[in-house]
Amino acid sequence: MNEESMGLALEMKGVRKSFPGTIAVDDVDFEVRPGEVHALVGENGAGKSTLMKMIAGSFDDYEGQIIVKGREVRLHTPTIAKKFGIGMIYQELSLARPISITENLLAGRLPRKGPFLDKRLAKRQARSLLEGVGLDLDPDLPIEDISQHEAQLVEIAKVLGNDPIILVMDEPTSALSREEVERLFAIIDQLRKRGIAIVYISHHLPEIFKIADRVTVMRDGKKIATKPIGEVTREEIVQMMVGRSVKEFYKRQERTIGEARLRVKGLSRFGFFHDVDFEARRGEILGICGLSGAGRTELARVLVGLDRADAGSIEVDGSPVRGSTMAEHLEQGIAYLTEDRKIEGLALRLAVDDNILSAIIDRLSSASVFSKSKGMQRVRALIGELSIYPPDPSRTVGNLSGGNQQKVLLAKWLASEPKVLILDEPTRGVDIGAKMTIHSSIEKLARQGCTVLLISSDLPELVGLTDRVMIMRKGHFTREMDYGECSEESLLLAANGDVGTGEGRAS
Amino acid sequence: MSDNRGPAPDGATDGAATAQADTRSVKTGSLSSLVNTAGVYGIALLFLVLGAVLQFTGAIGNFLSPQNLLNIVDAVALVGIVAVGMSFVTYSGNYADMSVPTTMGLTGYICIELLRYGFIPAIIGAIGVSLLIGVLNGFVVGKFKANPIIWTLAVNYVTMGIIRLVWVNKQIYPDMKGSSPDVVALFDAIYRLRFFKLIGLPLVILILLVVIGQFVLTKTSFGVKLKLTGSAPKAAKLSGIPIETVIMTSFVLAAFTAAIAGLAVTSLSRVGAWYNGAGYDFKAVTAIVIGGMTLAGGRGTILGVLGGSLIIGILNNIMTLIGIGTFSQDMVRGAIFILVVGINAKSLRSLGRDDA
Repeated sequence: MNEESMGLALEMKGVRKSFPGTIAVDDVDFEVRPGEVHALVGENGAGKSTLMKMIAGSFDDYEGQIIVKGREVRLHTPTIAKKFGIGMIYQELSLARPISITENLLAGRLPRKGPFLDKRLAKRQARSLLEGVGLDLDPDLPIEDISQHEAQLVEIAKVLGNDPIILVMDEPTSALSREEVERLFAIIDQLRKRGIAIVYISHHLPEIFKIADRVTVMRDGKKIATKPIGEVTREEIVQMMVGRSVKEFYKRQERTIGEARLRVKGLSRFGFFHDVDFEARRGEILGICGLSGAGRTELARVLVGLDRADAGSIEVDGSPVRGSTMAEHLEQGIAYLTEDRKIEGLALRLAVDDNILSAIIDRLSSASVFSKSKGMQRVRALIGELSIYPPDPSRTVGNLSGGNQQKVLLAKWLASEPKVLILDEPTRGVDIGAKMTIHSSIEKLARQGCTVLLISSDLPELVGLTDRVMIMRKGHFTREMDYGECSEESLLLAANGDVGTGEGRAS
Repeated sequence: MSDNRGPAPDGATDGAATAQADTRSVKTGSLSSLVNTAGVYGIALLFLVLGAVLQFTGAIGNFLSPQNLLNIVDAVALVGIVAVGMSFVTYSGNYADMSVPTTMGLTGYICIELLRYGFIPAIIGAIGVSLLIGVLNGFVVGKFKANPIIWTLAVNYVTMGIIRLVWVNKQIYPDMKGSSPDVVALFDAIYRLRFFKLIGLPLVILILLVVIGQFVLTKTSFGVKLKLTGSAPKAAKLSGIPIETVIMTSFVLAAFTAAIAGLAVTSLSRVGAWYNGAGYDFKAVTAIVIGGMTLAGGRGTILGVLGGSLIIGILNNIMTLIGIGTFSQDMVRGAIFILVVGINAKSLRSLGRDDA
């Protein structure tokens, strides 16, 4: 080992990990210094999660070298990774909700007095771990009684309890409010001062500029660049991420927006959203922006008949939507592409054609006899239009790549020829090629006169694709921005509750 | 520009990469299920050969005699009728209907009680009551997501209790309820009627049920909805499929064929008894699973289930001829069930799916 790598907390040299048919991480060099916050950015599918899973010991068949504190190690299991001082904080919390903070924090190493649990010592240890992250909570409380933000900090405290050398944080702020993010950053800053090396994965570029010392950009499994944060601009990072400028990425074609199609008045589902009023027109792509928990998905579920509204009305083309089931709403032209692809969206065990036709079974049947052949022309056309690969209708959907699965899901709803299509995170977790196909397909649909409601956390997507964006916050529509005034920054600020100033579509 | 071909660094990298790591071309076409179904009949044939070999080596007598083969067919008919209906429940992803035994028993009691009003009213009444059990099962499992095994098992015991309470723990006979002898004769004929002195009515019904069942499963909108419901209930629901109704229908079908089998068994024994259907639950599930219908739902064929019933029937017959007692036969059936479910689970896992 040379001098330089002795000074690094973590060094990865030429690491590579492939899945059948895909090289997820391709010959990547990556390093983190002690006391550094190193941001890792990239589009979904760029390979950052795979890289981090490698560090976490999730794979036993990666290639290349991983060096921790100057010592080459093979991180083949999570236990080994933990032993070498690697701490992971995932997006989804790993805490057990019904049991106490103490038991969660000290899981696997609860202090004993003879054969019994030493409760007082355990509580004391838990309290000091909580102090380390600035929490003043009763360690006896079960996790379900504390807030999401506090649980996030408990999770961090739990990982810190193992004295990590390297701390990996995957989108730690995705569920936090703005004030909570500030508090988290203060804690990260303390950890940095204690000499812990921090890898920080995030989609929120403004956050990265606030907290990171260096940034590494990944795209298509390869490392594009590592730069000190002071030497890059947001535009440069975005450009490296997408491989082309955002403006180029979203080339808009002219669309004509027609008369009102979907009219929502005073719609409420108590506890989730209240008094929602809006109108969406033919050929319009209307964005709905908000943090998770703002009520976006809940609103979609009511619009599509999955949940009941407590008050208010929904009209399509001037006539009120009848019935209270999804099938009835679907019949009246409202379709919904769910956020969850694998469980709620697709039947992974079934073939591509079975999935694409699954929303129009009754339409393809006469006298209860189902005619698959009647639908096959549509299936083939959609496979072609969305360039679903492989272009084989009998292929099992679960064996397709994530991007192609998402295209199949979209194809299912395109096949239903909806008047109003609600899309909930339509490009989450897909590669950039699939994303572009899906976007151009959404635009085409709008050009044909369909009204599209686009719920997305992908701000460039909202900015680039929509005609208007409604901002939803804590169950209310708080603001509306048209194409000219919305930008990533203004959307982010508005979703967080600030009155943003339109900075134009700079990004 | 919209191309996404070849080894794209796809969603496979983020999120659950391992879940979709398998990219072999597994097709879900009807070809593979036909091969599976053919395999089931191959195994049935093997058991026939085994029986023949045992006869020629002198271990058992008369396996190949016409009378014995007829016995096999008759037994297969009863198990098969129950299994065909129950396989809709399995296909819907709800494992099995454990209330079948007492549904069969109750059907017999009701029919015998109603014989005094005529044959047709008795049959309709008996089947009607069993359909109510199916509606109840389907409603509770479909609407309230009750665990199907636990719920139908409970219904089985509650029904048993009701039978024994109402008929004060007594068996009843067709000719003791003041029914006309003609009607009793008709009732006796349910099991004993033979076309061309050979083919029993239950066998005819089974063949009809298999043909109709296979058609319903593969060619009707209900069948397509059932496949989606069994394969991915949430995705089915979010495709606008009324999965509660679909699941309810599958339980009603199971109850319907259980009622038919119950009538046949009661006609055979000429007595209404609460234990008339005992063992048919497990025999049917075993036939279904051996027939290639996986407990995870959404996979398999009715033809396969018929093959499974055939295997069960031949196996039972051989075991009886060898002189293996009822209890030991239960053990063998249990072991086979575990074996088949285990093999199924393993082969699915090796295909990269862990949802056996």
